[in-house]
This record gives sequence, C-alpha cells and structure tokens, in this order.
Amino acid sequence: MIQLDKVTRVWHEFAIRDVTLQVNEGEYLVIVGPTGAGKTLLLELLLGIHHPDTGRILIDGADVTGLPPEKRGIGMVYQDYLLFPHLDVSRNLAFGLRYRRCSGEDARRRVREVAELLGISSLLHRYPYTLSGGEKQRVAIGRALVTEPRILLLDEPLSALDRGTASRLRNELKLLHAAKKLTVVHVTHDLSEARQMGGPIALVKDGRLDAFGPADDLLRRPPTVFAANFFGAVNLYKAEVQKTEGGMRVAAGPVAAECGFMEGAPYLMVHPDEVVVLPPSTGGANRLRGEVTALTDEGNYVAVQLRVAGLPAPLTAYVSRHFVRSQMLALGSDVTADVERAIHILRE
Amino acid sequence: MNGARQKQSAPRERHQRLDGRPFSPYSWLLVFIPFFAVFLCLNLYWLAGAVLATAAVWATWRRRSTTRGTAPLAVFSVAGGLLIFFIVLPIVNLLFTTEPSRIVRTALDPAVRSAIFITLSAACIATVISLLFGVPLGYLLARERFAGKAVVEGIVDMPVVIPHTIAGIALLFVFGRAGILGAPLKARLDIQLSDSYWGIVLAMLFVGLPFVVNHCRDGFLKVDPRMEYVARSLGATRLGAFFRVTIPLTWRALLSGAILTWARAISEFGSVAIIAYYPKTINTLLFEWYNFFGYTYTKPLATLLLLIALAIFIGLRAIAAPKRVEH
Repeated sequence: MIQLDKVTRVWHEFAIRDVTLQVNEGEYLVIVGPTGAGKTLLLELLLGIHHPDTGRILIDGADVTGLPPEKRGIGMVYQDYLLFPHLDVSRNLAFGLRYRRCSGEDARRRVREVAELLGISSLLHRYPYTLSGGEKQRVAIGRALVTEPRILLLDEPLSALDRGTASRLRNELKLLHAAKKLTVVHVTHDLSEARQMGGPIALVKDGRLDAFGPADDLLRRPPTVFAANFFGAVNLYKAEVQKTEGGMRVAAGPVAAECGFMEGAPYLMVHPDEVVVLPPSTGGANRLRGEVTALTDEGNYVAVQLRVAGLPAPLTAYVSRHFVRSQMLALGSDVTADVERAIHILRE
Repeated sequence: MNGARQKQSAPRERHQRLDGRPFSPYSWLLVFIPFFAVFLCLNLYWLAGAVLATAAVWATWRRRSTTRGTAPLAVFSVAGGLLIFFIVLPIVNLLFTTEPSRIVRTALDPAVRSAIFITLSAACIATVISLLFGVPLGYLLARERFAGKAVVEGIVDMPVVIPHTIAGIALLFVFGRAGILGAPLKARLDIQLSDSYWGIVLAMLFVGLPFVVNHCRDGFLKVDPRMEYVARSLGATRLGAFFRVTIPLTWRALLSGAILTWARAISEFGSVAIIAYYPKTINTLLFEWYNFFGYTYTKPLATLLLLIALAIFIGLRAIAAPKRVEH
C-alpha cells in the first residue's frame, strides 16, 4: 500500500502541490493528466529520485520519505525503455540481481523465468539497439520484474509503441498485474488506455489532484469541469445557483436540478446517452423542445444535435440508427428531449 | 519524373561495397594521396597543393548525384583542401626530409631520452590528476543546475584563453619559492614545486584541465539521467549507477578528453619554461638547441618528437573512435 500525505515538491518548472493519495495493495492506479501536469514528477517522488519539500510518503505503513530509490524496492519502467545499451538483454535483465545477493545459477534461472513470462527468451543475447520498440519495452518491464518489486511504476509505457503492439502489451500488463499481485502506478496521457486498465484513476492538473476515484465513477460523474472536459464530456453548461423553499437549485436555462451543498461556480452536464428523444410535446420539468440542427453517424449510434431555446450551447443526444429511421428524424425536425435522468452537477 | 529519379539513383549503385554499404564519396581522396606524397618528396609543393585541390573538387563532383547546387560545395572543398594542405605540408615536409640515421642518433642522446621520459611521464601524471578532479566536476556540470554555474564553466575555460606565459608567471606567484602556497610548502614540508618535476606537472595540469572537464561534461550530457534512475530503482547506489551505467557509456568521451589534455600537456612550453625550466622537457630542450645551435641541428629532434606524438595520438584516437552503433 502506498500513501502520499500532503506531498508538495516544486522542481524548476514542474510541481506537485499538496497531493494526498492512497493506492491499496494489489491495485492498478492510472494517473492521467495533460502534459506538464507533474505526472512524471509524482512517479519520481514515489521512486525516490525526488524527495518531498513537505509531506510524507508511506509504503506499507513505513515512512520512506527520505529513503533513496535503491532502498525502496520499487520497479520503474519509462516510456523510452532506457535499456542499458552497453549490455545485452540477459545482462540488462540480470542488472538488479547482484543487489539482491543473487548470482550464478540462481540468477540465470530468474532471468530465464522472467524472459519466458514476457516472451523474450529468444532475445537474451541480442543488444538493445537490435530490438523493436515492443521488444525493448518487454525487456524494460522484465528488468524491473526480475528483482521482484512489490510496486511497479510505469511512466507512459505504451506511448512510443504502435497501436497493435501497445494493445497486446496492455493486455499482458493486466495479466502480469493479476498474476504477480503487483501494486502498479501507471502514468498515461491516453484516456482509453486509462479506462481499459480498469483500476482507479487519478487526474492531475497543475500538480494538484483534480479528481480521484474508480474509473467508471469518474468517467460517469466527473467532479470538476476540468475532469469532465479531460474525459471528453459532450454537453457541459455553465449554471447558476437558485434558492428555493426546499433548498438550492442549479439551473442552466431550461435544464435544472436540485442540489445540496455547492462550492465554487456550478456547471451542469447532460449525458448524451441518457437523453430520451420524444415526439414534440410541451410541458414537464427538464423536457426541452428543440430543433434538430445536425445528425452525425458515429458508427454504433447517431449523434443528434438540437438547438434548444434558452440553453447556452446546442444539446447532443445519442440515439440508435433504428430510432432515426422509425421517427423519420431529419434536419429541422421538431422534437422534445427528456434530460431528467441525464443531468450531472459539477463544480468549476 | 520517375525516369529522372531512376537516373539519379543509378550512379549510387556503382558505389556499393560488397557488404552493401556505399563507399564514402571521399574515398576518392585515397587515390590522390600517393601523388601528393610523391610530389612533396620531389619538393614540388605547388604540384602537391594542386593535386589536393583537384582531389577536393573531384570528391565534390562525385557527390553531385545526391546534392543539388554543386558550385558552392566546390568552392568550400577548395577552401577546405587548402586548409588541410596548410596543416599537412609542414608536418609531411618535416617527416620526409629528415634523414632517418640522424633521427636514430638523436634518439640515442641521453639528454633527449631523459627529456622525452620527463615530458611523457609528467603529461601522463597531469592527465590522471585532471581525470580524477575533472570527471566529478564534469558530472556536476552535466547533471545539476546551480547558482553560478555559468561562472564555473567560464572559470574552467580560462586556462584556454590565458596566454600560457602569463599562466606560468601567475603559477609562479602561487607555487614559486616565494609564492603564497609555495613558500609555506617549502618551509613546512620542504616541497619545492618550481624548477622541479612537479612544477612541470603543475603547469601541464593547469593548461590541460579544461579539455577533460568539458569533454566529461559533454559526454555525461549524452547519458539520460533517467538511465541512472532505472539503475537505482534496481538497487544500485548513486555511485554504483555511475560506475556500472554512466562510465561504460561515456568512457570514449572521457578518453578523448584525456587525449586532448595529454596532447596539450606534451606540447606545453610557455608556462613550463617559466615555472620549471629544469628539468628540461622536450620543448625546453628543443628551444635551447634552436637558440644555441640553429634550426638545422634541431630538425632531427623535432622530427623524432613529431613521430612520437603522432604515433600516440593516432593510436589513442583509434581506440576512442565511436563504434558505429546507434544507442
């Protein structure tokens, strides 16, 4: 288990500010965020290359804040592999073993095992410059795994690979994680990669933890506008807080929802796949009358764009192709969209 | 369009070697070098220069299949050829016009042999010391950002720009018999640096240090610091990562820095002559012979020293030449 307790580190143009985070034993945490957000710095704080200016880092309950990397037992894999070019694959793999007091036959056996696990047994006597990107990354992962770390840090491990290789390696990483019961922290800027790893996601913005939670939860109900935009939200409207007898209401034009406590400026998000498109009718809360301004075939569904009076931006709803045909939807069609169950409130 | 491209690529295929790699277009220069040497031996210097210039133009012309706009390149080649001629002519002239028997006789002179030994060994010691102190400084300059780094880098380059006689005088005021460090060293420990072997080492070290420091820094800059991070994540200490990863990847840069330092050290005369005229180095000896006996007498000694320097320089360069491997 990794715990970060109010960790702050400012290093030249990069910074991590006041990050509190917990990664449980055997969890696969994915850290996402835009370039320059401090994701790599966060990993290097965990690794021990950087030490926090303030705050503490605990691994399995023990304070490792001041420990150098060699005493932490954490494996690290970088995007650009960073294999030792002067050593062949087997010696790259065996690099860490001498520090584990493991040599001779024992070391060779462990190198063989890891090489078999990653399917690189045939490469053992090749030098890094003769390997392809995917092979290099396998060797880099193997090199980290040989020393049997409890925690594995991956800094954009798949970004430099072509799509096919990346998806194969992604599946293998998932299997490895399950088989070895590793705690993994995986940094990426690729959202679909983050989603497919299945673990919790932490979103970093300007060195701060902007959002953190299980992937489905975070993608469905992003807590902030930044998170919503980063995860590709479609219908996002700036809203106003209105006082009612019962409490508070957040409203953006005709779209409104009850809410409890609200900090910061409110926004409303309408999930396009939860919008119910109906024949034109009037009346009812969160039933919006609008005109179709665009129909885009997205392959598995059709995105219907509606112009709704009072709404600051067009509303998009996803419907099936069958629905478009049966309802004879076309540009200029007059419809009603029921958004009652599609609304999500978030803050600035 | 397609036909034109085929036409362009056709001459290239003629330059394929058996292993598939293309000949260097400048390998044509090899054809001209024997002519060049023959003309030099016959004292036909103007003909030798003409041959070299022709070779340069010829090599440029061979490249025309891949490079457009050959005219400026031809001008550059002639300019470059003249420059090479300017360097090669005095050296080759000295080598080819000295009688070998006189070189051998000079080499057997005990004064010469002692001077050669003193120069080479002092240069080696200066190089080793400069490595011991220069490698850590080069590493710091490559890896860390700190206040006043530009100042430190400027200071490192200073021995290159200070005239060496001035360096000698400055060193004398510090390490000389009455110098601010030399006087207490003499009084307390009875160590005298001026006019001693160690004075020579000192002067060589002073003028040679910048090359080691700068080459080390440039070499370390080419190794990604994250390579060291990975090594440390695998259990290596900072020093362990340095010796198992960084040094194996930079030893060529360190060696070429050391070669330059060493070459600078054996050629140093100005500061050595001021801080330690005795014992005599090859340069002091050469200077003295030239003053007392004139330049024809000095010629075999100069040729001998040139041969030694060239042999060592070429040998070390061959070791330090980068392997053709992409990292």
